[in-house]
Amino acid sequence: MTAEPGPGPADDTISKLVAAFHEEAARGVSSRSDFEALKGRYLGREKGLVPALFARMREIPPADRASYGARANAAKREIEEAIRALGELVARGETEKSERAAAVDVTLPGRRVPAGSLHPVTIVRRRVEEIFLRMGYSIADGPEIENDAHNFEALNFPPEHPARDAQDTLFIDLQAPSPLLLRTHTSPVQIREMKKRGAPIKIISPGRVYRNESVDATHQPVFHQVEALVVDRGISMADLKGTVEAFFEALFGPGTRSRIIPTFFPFVEPGADVHVSCIFCNGAGCRTCKGSGWVELAGAGEVHPRVLEACGIDPEEFSGFAFGLGLDRVAMMLYEFPDLRLLFDGEERFLSQFAPLS
Amino acid sequence: MKFALEWIGDRVAIADAGGTDGVRKLLDRAGLPIESSEGEGEGVVLDVEITPNRPDAMSHRGLAREVAAMAGIPFRDPGAEGELPASGPSVEEIASVEIAVPRLCRRFGARVVRGIANAPSSPQVRARLAGIGAKSIDAAVDATNYALWDLGQPLHAFDLDKVAGGRIVVRKAKRGEKLVTLDGVERALEPTDVVVADGQRPISLAGIMGGLDTAVSPATKNVLLEAAWWDPVAVRRTSRRLGMHTDASHRFERGADPEMIPAALDLAARLLLAAAGGTLLPGRIDARGAALPRRRVVLRLDRLRILAGDPRLDLDFAAEALTRLGFSIATRSARRLTAEVPSFRADVSIEEDLVEEVLRAWGYDRLPSRLPATAGAGGHLEPRRIIEDALSDEAVAAGLRETYSYPFVDRGIDESGFAPWLEATRTAKEPLSLANPVDASKPHLRSTLFPAILDAASRNFRHGARHVGLFEVGRAFGSEGDPARPDTFESRRFAFALGGEARPHWSTPAASRDADFHDAKGLVERLLDRWLPAEELAWKSFEAPAFVTGAAARCETKAGALLGVIGLVGRAEREKRRLREGVSAGEILVDAIPREARSVRFRAFSLFPPIVADLSFSLPATIPWESVDEFARGLGLANLESLRLFDRYTGPGVPEGQVKTTVRLTFRSSERTLEQEEVNTERDRLAAALRTRFGADGG
Repeated sequence: MTAEPGPGPADDTISKLVAAFHEEAARGVSSRSDFEALKGRYLGREKGLVPALFARMREIPPADRASYGARANAAKREIEEAIRALGELVARGETEKSERAAAVDVTLPGRRVPAGSLHPVTIVRRRVEEIFLRMGYSIADGPEIENDAHNFEALNFPPEHPARDAQDTLFIDLQAPSPLLLRTHTSPVQIREMKKRGAPIKIISPGRVYRNESVDATHQPVFHQVEALVVDRGISMADLKGTVEAFFEALFGPGTRSRIIPTFFPFVEPGADVHVSCIFCNGAGCRTCKGSGWVELAGAGEVHPRVLEACGIDPEEFSGFAFGLGLDRVAMMLYEFPDLRLLFDGEERFLSQFAPLS
Repeated sequence: MKFALEWIGDRVAIADAGGTDGVRKLLDRAGLPIESSEGEGEGVVLDVEITPNRPDAMSHRGLAREVAAMAGIPFRDPGAEGELPASGPSVEEIASVEIAVPRLCRRFGARVVRGIANAPSSPQVRARLAGIGAKSIDAAVDATNYALWDLGQPLHAFDLDKVAGGRIVVRKAKRGEKLVTLDGVERALEPTDVVVADGQRPISLAGIMGGLDTAVSPATKNVLLEAAWWDPVAVRRTSRRLGMHTDASHRFERGADPEMIPAALDLAARLLLAAAGGTLLPGRIDARGAALPRRRVVLRLDRLRILAGDPRLDLDFAAEALTRLGFSIATRSARRLTAEVPSFRADVSIEEDLVEEVLRAWGYDRLPSRLPATAGAGGHLEPRRIIEDALSDEAVAAGLRETYSYPFVDRGIDESGFAPWLEATRTAKEPLSLANPVDASKPHLRSTLFPAILDAASRNFRHGARHVGLFEVGRAFGSEGDPARPDTFESRRFAFALGGEARPHWSTPAASRDADFHDAKGLVERLLDRWLPAEELAWKSFEAPAFVTGAAARCETKAGALLGVIGLVGRAEREKRRLREGVSAGEILVDAIPREARSVRFRAFSLFPPIVADLSFSLPATIPWESVDEFARGLGLANLESLRLFDRYTGPGVPEGQVKTTVRLTFRSSERTLEQEEVNTERDRLAAALRTRFGADGG
């Protein structure tokens, strides 16, 4: 509204144009296309009304040209500025509209990145490894196909010894100097590592083991163990006890109690069974622990001197403890599933339930 | 093994041991835990878990001794009710025993009772046997059973009149000899079997089961009671070969007590006389084989304290504990003692055994707790384990779930579709077989994880899953290995299966599609990236009956080392599993992956803007993308940052046999902002080169 009305028909044209523009602009533009049409009508390079003002310059008497030019330029600036502002308004309106369109029913299902998961026994194995790694143990590994020499003889199972009965061995049908079999425990890894590395040694050996068991809810021909072994000068039953207590407290949580009672395994002497306070009833007695408050979870003991000797370690100088645990059972306890067969089903409705242990 | 508390009470005061609960705790401490107990009060029956080293505890007397030793209370055998009345000729005049295998039969004792009646055993004997779940047969058999459960010594009763000449020879069986045992089964004997024979033939399988012909029957008048000591290994070999497991063999295999023989004979004879009458002949036959060596074991105080980790232990306690357990202390000094091992403890032979005995009496629960002072580095000793875990982590991040399976297969049924893959992994020969398979229909060890992972995938679809992504880490087996190095029979594998709808979502139903070959390939590229970036992998067509022809590939390093195989699962494998959904699967050879992850160092990147240019052209569909890609990269286009396949199209507008290909070129300089014109020049150069090289039709 700053264009002053000037004398003469030319000035009149300018002010009329400005007035007409403002009138039109005041009616508003409701869409981008209206806006573009308005902008084109006034500012269009070819047919725009504003450029037309300048095209008429030749028709203006020379004396008035300077004044006409100044007024026409002022009008142009005014219209351009107004159109720019209008353009911003239209753009904002458009953004608001598209944002309104982007509003959603926030209760609709999200587009989930598919989740994967580790097998519950893997989760437990890794947790166990982590606990032992923190205590400075190294993780060793060995073959699942073993020979009698490593699986039994070096572990002080003499041929024809009844202790072999408990192992229900699966034998491989192949001629070999020492009969081949699927390892029945992870203990042969101890033998291989002690032979390779000597003492002192501080390792765990997690892995898959095999027994000729018929399948039911609590028995599988394939299962998993982890075994800890420490051999050094002066390693005692007290070291075993402390380690067992620290380990199970880390695995099952503060307040978990452990105890050891005598038992027999050929490869340890003295031998011990490890009992852990029942995690379901906290030792009060329930079905899982058969009312005793304790669950037998591991076998352990001082490494038998004949085992050390078989590995070239002098039992007069060194002693050690070993302790072995079934991972499948621990997984069963931690996650409270009823049947070990679920572990080998590949059923996603089972596998998808397990998150890593904190 | 079942035992009656009241029977144990014959030799130890149960009340002084703290009743049922006290006995439970004491036996726990002894290492003879009670698995369960039944009944109340007088009728409590304990199911005791007895490890194979403790045959001495497999009797009421043995358990009573343990309870007394653990509690530190008296243990006493009930006083004999006077000498057994005996009359008639001496037993030696009626029967004789000759031991031809003195190391396998160390002692053979016998007594003879003549003129018995056919009678049941006394109500007390029958009640006690019934209480622990043992059957009552007749006075003679019950007498031997009772003695076994009371004293731990197995016995056998012969009908003396059927033993030819009353003459007994303990010898090895002769080839071709047969014996019908008590259970009515005819046993073919081997020269390794030890038998009790009369002058003519075997009449009993030593330490395992008697013969049927010479067994006592209702008509039996004269009985010869046998109690002997048999070699554990010989008994075990025979019982295992014949698949026979008896209360007697169970004890002899573990080591019986030769000193218990006379008492066991007397007890059985007393019970027999009481129930069935008759006359006991004076004297006992006591034939001896080679004597068992006396065992003396030294216990040093230092050793005891080192192994126990408890400085409070001393030799006074050790000596007292060992005495209570039936050992005698032969010598004793300030720092050591020598203990004589009782005949019933076949399991004790070294110093560590004595340590365990002392600690049992001390109580493991009283030992202190500490952590080993041994410093350890911590870490993995097997780099391939790290690879397995890293592959698993990556697969989980890619949305797959880990599964486990059994390694048992039938090669012909399960693995034949994968024969070329077995060939490629050198497992095509005979599979490894189990001598005693868990499941006779799956006698082989798998040579690939494919069948198991496909089984798992199909199971999930059958159970209603729409999308399946599974992986398994495990070992495959082959028969070509070195028996001295059993690990050479194994190969570590990582297998996966992807199938069904890829990422279904309500918002984009049209985008739903079945997982395909490219999903599998992309997954493998991602899984291996930590060691081998995609540029270092080579993919070559692979054919196997299990896969769709033309939709399977082996993955190799550029140097030609086989890394794995992937493929779209074909009709045969799908029909076998009633699998309708499209599934692609792969298997990676973990051992072929480099042990070290590739080294990663920071590379500076350009701060100038990129210019993107697309180029479309049509090519004969037979030209593999790889050759186009390599050719284009080989042109050395100036400032080319990346070249990416953007689109492949066949259909209306593209001539038959051609594929319209669009590549997206990204140009960027590390020194300046590029001009559109120079980018256009390079793009046009690529277009011209493709036209010359492949006859690619631009546009």
